[in-house]
Amino acid sequence: MNVPLSWLKDYVDVDAPPEELARRLTFSGTEVAAIRTVGSSFDGIVVAEIVETAPHPDADDLLVCRVKDGRRVVRVVCGARNFAVGDKAPFAPAGCRLPGGRAIGATEIRGVESEGMLCAEDELGLSDDHSGLLLLPRETPAGAPLAEALGPPETVLDVEVTWNRPDCLSIIGIAREVAALFGGKVKLPSVVFREDGRPVEELAKVTLEDAQGCLRYTARVLWDVKQAPAPLWMRRRLSLCGARAINNIVDITNYVLIECGQPLHAFDYDLLADHHIIVRRARPGETMATLDGAPRCLTPDMTLIADPRKAVAVGGVMGGAGSGIRPATTRVLLEAATFDPLRLHRASLALALSTESSYRYERGVDVARVEWCSRRAAALMTELAGATAARGVIDAYPNPQAERAIRCRYGRVRALYGVETPDDRVVSILESLDLPVVSRDAESCVVLAPSFRPDLEIEADLIEEVVRVNGLDKAPTLTPSALVAPDASDAPAQALIRCRSNLVGLGLTEIMNYSFLPAELLDRFTPGETARRVALPNPVSADYAVMRDSLIPQMADTLGRNRFRQVEHAAFFETGRVFLRDDSGVIHEEERLALGLMGAPGRTALDARKPAQAQESFLWLKGILEQIARVQRVNDLAFAPFEHPALELGRTVAVIVGEAPAGVAGLLRASLGAEYRMNGPVAIAEMSLAPLLARAFGAPELKPVPAFPSVTRDVALVAPANLTNEAIARVIRRHAPPELTSVELFDIFSGEGIRKGYRSLAYSLVYCSAERTLTDEDASRYHAVVKNALTSELGVEIRDK
Amino acid sequence: MTSAEIARTRDEALAEIRVAETLRALEAVRVKYLGRKGLLPQIMKGLKDLPEQNRAAAGLEANELKSRVGEAIEQRGAELGAAGPAREPFDPTLPGLWHRPGAMHLISRVIEDVTRICARIGFTVADGPDVETKHNNFDALNTPERHPSLDPRDTFWLETGECLRTQTSPVQIRVMKSRPPPVRVITPGRCYRRDTTDATHGANFHQIEGLYVDRGVSLADLKGTMAYFARELMGPAVKVRFRPHFFPFTEPSVECDFSCHVCGGAGCRVCKSSGWIEIAGAGMVDPRVFEFVGYDPEEFTGYAWGFGVERVAMVKYGLGDIRVLYENDLRFLEQFA
Ligand SMILES: [Zn+2]
Repeated sequence: MNVPLSWLKDYVDVDAPPEELARRLTFSGTEVAAIRTVGSSFDGIVVAEIVETAPHPDADDLLVCRVKDGRRVVRVVCGARNFAVGDKAPFAPAGCRLPGGRAIGATEIRGVESEGMLCAEDELGLSDDHSGLLLLPRETPAGAPLAEALGPPETVLDVEVTWNRPDCLSIIGIAREVAALFGGKVKLPSVVFREDGRPVEELAKVTLEDAQGCLRYTARVLWDVKQAPAPLWMRRRLSLCGARAINNIVDITNYVLIECGQPLHAFDYDLLADHHIIVRRARPGETMATLDGAPRCLTPDMTLIADPRKAVAVGGVMGGAGSGIRPATTRVLLEAATFDPLRLHRASLALALSTESSYRYERGVDVARVEWCSRRAAALMTELAGATAARGVIDAYPNPQAERAIRCRYGRVRALYGVETPDDRVVSILESLDLPVVSRDAESCVVLAPSFRPDLEIEADLIEEVVRVNGLDKAPTLTPSALVAPDASDAPAQALIRCRSNLVGLGLTEIMNYSFLPAELLDRFTPGETARRVALPNPVSADYAVMRDSLIPQMADTLGRNRFRQVEHAAFFETGRVFLRDDSGVIHEEERLALGLMGAPGRTALDARKPAQAQESFLWLKGILEQIARVQRVNDLAFAPFEHPALELGRTVAVIVGEAPAGVAGLLRASLGAEYRMNGPVAIAEMSLAPLLARAFGAPELKPVPAFPSVTRDVALVAPANLTNEAIARVIRRHAPPELTSVELFDIFSGEGIRKGYRSLAYSLVYCSAERTLTDEDASRYHAVVKNALTSELGVEIRDK
Repeated sequence: MTSAEIARTRDEALAEIRVAETLRALEAVRVKYLGRKGLLPQIMKGLKDLPEQNRAAAGLEANELKSRVGEAIEQRGAELGAAGPAREPFDPTLPGLWHRPGAMHLISRVIEDVTRICARIGFTVADGPDVETKHNNFDALNTPERHPSLDPRDTFWLETGECLRTQTSPVQIRVMKSRPPPVRVITPGRCYRRDTTDATHGANFHQIEGLYVDRGVSLADLKGTMAYFARELMGPAVKVRFRPHFFPFTEPSVECDFSCHVCGGAGCRVCKSSGWIEIAGAGMVDPRVFEFVGYDPEEFTGYAWGFGVERVAMVKYGLGDIRVLYENDLRFLEQFA
C-alpha cells in the first residue's frame, strides 16, 4: 500500500525524517519496502490555458490546440481528448526537459508545427496514467510554474501490510501505528455535514435478508449531485496511491476507501427499482453482469445486493453493470457495509475476482465504523459535489458485535519476551495503540479489543503488540544450551545421511528432480500403469502434471540431457519419494533410491575411451548395488530374473533383500536410450530405500581373522556360455570342504581355442583351516573333489595347464 | 660480480648437481645455491652495488644463471626420483588412476550442514509425508480458511481432499501429537506451492523448520539459537536481526535477517546493498497451536523457525538462478565434490 506522507500527516503529527519513519515502522511490523519521491521541480514546465482546439488536418486522432502560457499563445499538437477550451493543463514548451530527462523541441507533427507538449501524468513522472492530460484547476493562472500548482514533490512510503492487519490497509490505520511509535494522537477528519434533504426512510428501503453474509448494511441518499472532476488535491492523492481519477463521486468513494479502509459503493439511485435494496443470497443458477462487463454465474453461497427486479452487485466484490454511476446520474444511493469474511472470500475465489474491496473484506473491515465512514463520504459529496444529503441513514445492523475483553498478564509478557517490562510500560503501549485498557490489577490488565483489530483474540496477541512496539532488539540473546529430549531418535535420517555419503564415496553424483513430471514421460517408461498414478487436479503446467511413481524416467531423462550437453560418462543417484494410489484411492509414499550409469564411469582415465559393453555396464551397476548394500550392512542382497517395461528383456534383474523384492536393476531399453542419443548401454536401478537404511548402524558380523596360512588353487573350465557363473560357484561351494574360504572368478574367455557357444571361466579358490596349517596335499585333495564335482554335476571340461 | 665469476659459479653448481647421488644431497645443493640465504640470492643482491652501465648486463647473466641451476636441479631430481632397481620406464606425471568421488547435491549439502549444526544443541530430525491433510497443513497451524495460502491458485489440492504440503510445519504438528514436551526437532523436507518456475521460485522446493517446546522458552532463546545458527552456517562474523512479521502459527512472529556474509554488512550485490539478507521466518509458537496438539499453553512455551533450503543455498554459494539446482548438469554438480 502506498502512503503519501502529506496525507498521513493530516491525521498524525510526526516530524521524523522519512527514513526514520520507515525504519520505525519496519521494525514494529509494518514493513516499508521502499521510499519514493514523486514529482520534481518541473523546471520550465508551466500551467497553460487551452484557448482553442481544432481537428488536425491530416490525422483523425490528433487535435491542434492554441494555448496561452502566460506570455504568448502557441500552437501545440495533442493526442488527448479529455479537455475543453478554458481548461488548464501542464505545458512543456520547446527547449525544456521533462522530469524523465526527455528534451522537448519544436517539431512538426504530420505537417503541423507544435511548439511544445501538453502533458499527462506519466509524462511528468507522477504516475503511469496516460489516459489524458493532467487537468489543473481552472482558477490556476496561466503561466504559473507547474511546481506552484502541484506543490512540492511528495514522499510516498511503499508499505507491505501483513494479512492479519487489515486496519493498516488505510492511511488512518498507518497513522495509528505512527502515533503509537512516536507518541501523539490520531486526529480523525471531519464528518459533519448538513442533512438538508428529506428523511432517508422516505426515499429508500433496505431489506437485509442474508444477515449471515452481510453483517451490517448502511445506505445514505444524496440528491442534486453535480458530476465533475474531483479537485486536484484529491486526484493527486489517488494517483499517488495508484488509483485512477474518474469523477468526483467515484473518486470520493475511492478516497474514503484508502483513507479509512472502508469499501463504499455508489449506486445510481434512479436505476434501483423501487429504490429498494435487498441483501440476499443468490438464487441457484442466477447470473449477472458485473461492472467489468463479464457475465457471472452465482451460487447461493454468495451475498447479492439486489433491487426487487435484479441483482445490482456481488456484495463486497464488485458492482453490477447496470446500476453504477453514469454521466447522467444526479442522485446517488451510497452503500457502506461489511460482509462475512469467509463467505466473501469464497465468493471472490469462485468468481476468480479480486478487487480492492474484496481484498479488504476478506481480511476484515471494521463493522463498528461503517456508519462513520459513510458519513465521511457523504460529507465529502456535499462539500465537493454540491450534493444535498437526505436526513439520516438506513442502518441495518441486526447483530451488533460484542467487544472482546482480553486479559494480559505482565508476568506472561516477561516470560515470552524475555525482557523485564514494567507493568506501566505494558499498559501505556497498549493504550498508545488505541487499545482501551478497561481494568488493571497487580498482575494483569484487561483490554477491550476494538473492532478495527480483528487480529487481537488472545493474550499472546497483546503480548505481540507490546513486543513489537517496545522493540525486538531489546530482547536479550541467550546462548543456547544443548538438550536431549527423551525418546527422540532420528536414526532413519542419520542412516540416509550415511547412505548418501557412501554413495558419493563410491563415485556417484547426486541429482535432484521435481516430484512431478509430464504424463507423457511416464507413459514412455511405464505405459499402462496410469490407474495407480496421482495426477494433480490443478497443475502449474503439463510439464508438472503427475506425481512421480518411479524415479526411473527422470533418471533416464537426466542422463539423456547430460548426453545432449556432451557429457559422456556419468554415474548418478537420486533419493526421493514416489507416490502411488492404491485400489481404494489412498495415496502412499515410498522413499526410493535410483542409480544411473552412462558411458564408462567405472573406468579410469587411461582406458575411458574403450566403449562400454552391455555386460560391463550392467556389472558396474550391480557392483554399486552390492557395495552400497555391504556398507549399509545389508548381507542378504540377491538378484533374480525380472522384467520391467523400461528395461531390456533378459538384461534386467530384481533386487532382492532377504526374501522380499526391493527393486529392479538393468539396462535401459535401447529404443528409450536412442531418444536421447544415448547409443551405448545405460544402466539404471531403482530400489526402496528402507532396506538400505534399516541396518545402517548395525555392527558387522565379525569372523576371526585366520591364524594359519591359506593355500590358493585355481581351476579353469570350459562351459556352455549359458551356464551362469552363479550355477558354477554354487556347485563349487556345495562340494568343497569347510576349509574353502573364497571362490573368485578371475578370468572369462571365449574365442580362439574355445568351441562356439562355450566359454572358459577361471576361478581362484582359497583354502584355509582354523586349526592347522594346510599342506599342499590337503589342498590338492580338496581341489580334486571340487573338480570332480564340476565335471560330474555340470559336465564341464576342466582345462589343465 | 663479473661475468667470469658468474660463469665459475655456474660450472661449480652444475658439477655439484651432477654428482649428487640422492635426493637429500641434491636438496643440500639447492639450499646452497637457491635457498633464501644461498649464493644466487646474494649475487642478485650484490647487483645494486655495480656501476650503472654494467648493471643491466650482469642482471641478465645472473638471471640466466638462476634458471640454468634451477632446471638442472629439477632434471636431476626427476632422474633420482625415477630411479628404481629395474630401471623400467616410469612417469610419475601420468594422471592418477582411481575413480573420482561423486558429489552430494547442494540441497542435500545444506540440509546436512543444518542437521549437523542443530544436532550439536540437541535437535533431532523429524519427518512427515509430502501428501498432507488439510488439518495438519493448515487448521492445526491456526490458519483460517480464508487465508490466501489455502487458495487453490497457491496450493496443490488433490482429489482425496489432501494437499501437497506447502511447508514442513505439519511435521511439527505430527511430532507434538506423538509425544510430550520437551521437543527439539528440525524438519527438513520437500514442499510444494503453485509458483511458476523462475529464477527464484519453483513449484517444488525444500524447507527446514526447527521447533523447541519446553517450560520457560522465550524470545531470548529464539534469538540466541538463530544467532548460533547464523554463525555456524554462514560464518563467524554473521549477525542476526529480527523484524516483526505475521505467521498464523506463531505469536509474536518475526522475520530474521542475517548480516551479509559477503560484504560484512557494508552493502554488495548479494545483499542488494542493504547489508542484510532475509533468511528465515520465526516466532513463539501460538498457544492455539498448542491447544490443537494437546499441550498446555499455560505450562509450555516454544519457538519455531524455518527457511527455504534453495534460498540459503543460493545465498551461500552465490547462485543467481534457482533452476540450476534442478537441471542436474554434471558439470555443475561435480564442482561440489
Ligand atoms: Zn552484502
